[in-house]
Amino acid sequence: MEDENKTPIVQLKDTVIGFNSSKPLVEITNMEIFPGEVVAVTGPSGIGKTTLLRTIAGLVKPISGYIQVCGRNPSQIQRGEVGYIPQRLGLVRHASVLHNVLLGAKTNQKLSNSYFSSKAEKNHSLKTINSLGLSEKTHEPVRRLSGGQQRRVAIARTLSQSPSLIMADEFLSELDEKTINMVLREILDYVRASKAALLVVEHDVSRAKEMADHLLVIDDGRVNPFISETRTILLEAEK
Amino acid sequence: MSFRDNAVIWFSFIGLLISVFLINNLVDDWGRLSGSWNNLTIFISESLWPPNWSVIEPQAYPVCTVYPLFDFTCSTAWIGIIETLKIAFISTIFGSIISLPLALLAARNLNPRWISFIVRFILAAARSLPSIIWAIFFVILVGFGPISGILAMTIYTVGYLGKLQYESIEGISSIPLEAGKSMGLSRYEISKGIVIPENANDLISQIIFMFEYNVRHGTVIGIVGAGGIGYYINLYLKFLQYDKVIAYLIIIFIVVLIIDFISISARSLFTEEGDSNADSIFTSFLKLWKETILPQGLLFFSRK
Repeated sequence: MEDENKTPIVQLKDTVIGFNSSKPLVEITNMEIFPGEVVAVTGPSGIGKTTLLRTIAGLVKPISGYIQVCGRNPSQIQRGEVGYIPQRLGLVRHASVLHNVLLGAKTNQKLSNSYFSSKAEKNHSLKTINSLGLSEKTHEPVRRLSGGQQRRVAIARTLSQSPSLIMADEFLSELDEKTINMVLREILDYVRASKAALLVVEHDVSRAKEMADHLLVIDDGRVNPFISETRTILLEAEK
Repeated sequence: MSFRDNAVIWFSFIGLLISVFLINNLVDDWGRLSGSWNNLTIFISESLWPPNWSVIEPQAYPVCTVYPLFDFTCSTAWIGIIETLKIAFISTIFGSIISLPLALLAARNLNPRWISFIVRFILAAARSLPSIIWAIFFVILVGFGPISGILAMTIYTVGYLGKLQYESIEGISSIPLEAGKSMGLSRYEISKGIVIPENANDLISQIIFMFEYNVRHGTVIGIVGAGGIGYYINLYLKFLQYDKVIAYLIIIFIVVLIIDFISISARSLFTEEGDSNADSIFTSFLKLWKETILPQGLLFFSRK
């Protein structure tokens, strides 16, 4: 995973993740994600995969250890630098698709520097919506869309940010094969083209291996994280 | 099944037991209830019913100069209810404009504890006096008339609506908020772009509920001289003309029903139920307003 020539986008050293120091969920001795890399996290339910993502996004404080995201502490991440797609998406259900995607575009640093930023944000959002096959639903309230369409809206919102790091929690669930291919193509094209990093939680190990450069397996064979011992991430060999 | 699963039922049951205990302490003579039904029938048949609809006839003075078909607009009922509706509408709009930013600041899921504590203190102070006491206060300050009513009900609306709003804001899912925070949206952007639209159904129904509340309370504050239909109700109560009072109350009841209908239609824009129902003329207009006129207007004014 390591590349001497590049600065990692995500760097964790001796990091303990969880909500309670007496019951940590995940312990990571060393983890680095470099620009253009795709890393998939897999493991049983309730093991701490989502908490790992939320910690990197700066939403949960680590119990101890060192975390740097884009060269900064997660609590100081710059606007739009990290795109996080939660498992339950976190969309504004009563607002339109465009409104949701515009929220992401507003944090896009490249667009906000432009003089006509609001126009640029809108155009960029419409383009992203179109690329994910949702142009007919642009003005539709999100609550009226199917589960799969809502998932695409969340992806469009994140892509419209032009983030350096995308974190997606089971973002391919509820999608059919054709849509999975379209969504994956869009997101992987973005990652390769803009040298961003992608960290995904994926239950389907074969799909995780297919899309990711590296696979992180969090597993100690115990399902309930709140009663188990500290566990470690096993880093599988590169594909 | 744990206590928590059935908490509402258990709390209701415990509340009922405490109430039975308390009412037993409060009431000294249960026998007084026995004659109440008889008193009610006498009161209705001899004083209240039938309503005296002369209240919708034009007043003798000033002379009504409108077209005869519309001469009801010169009646005390019309003048009173229109004034009450105006007072209630203005107070609700002013109150909600002030209360929404305060509610956003009072919500603990959006702000540090110390900010929400200070704002909650202000809202509690506005709410601690009933609107009739605020009305008396403003009648003393600025004299009789609708302006006292507007000031009194605006302050009460801020306190009451602010509490309803911050409680419903605190009830929204944390996931959209987390998504907004992780994107780096500011607190203002999260409030405007996530919290308000996500909570639109509750916020609109609370504002309309508050309007309805203010219409009903507008009748009460009129009694202390703060304008509206309450002035006439108070007048006829003093003269023991209950048949006219009941006519006014029926008019208020009809107005409240109309507001309730508007509330249901307005809220249907923000619910799944509303999506599946056929559009009424009213909801079509509101939809046109919300999806076309309002965004275009905002776009026009927000252009750089």
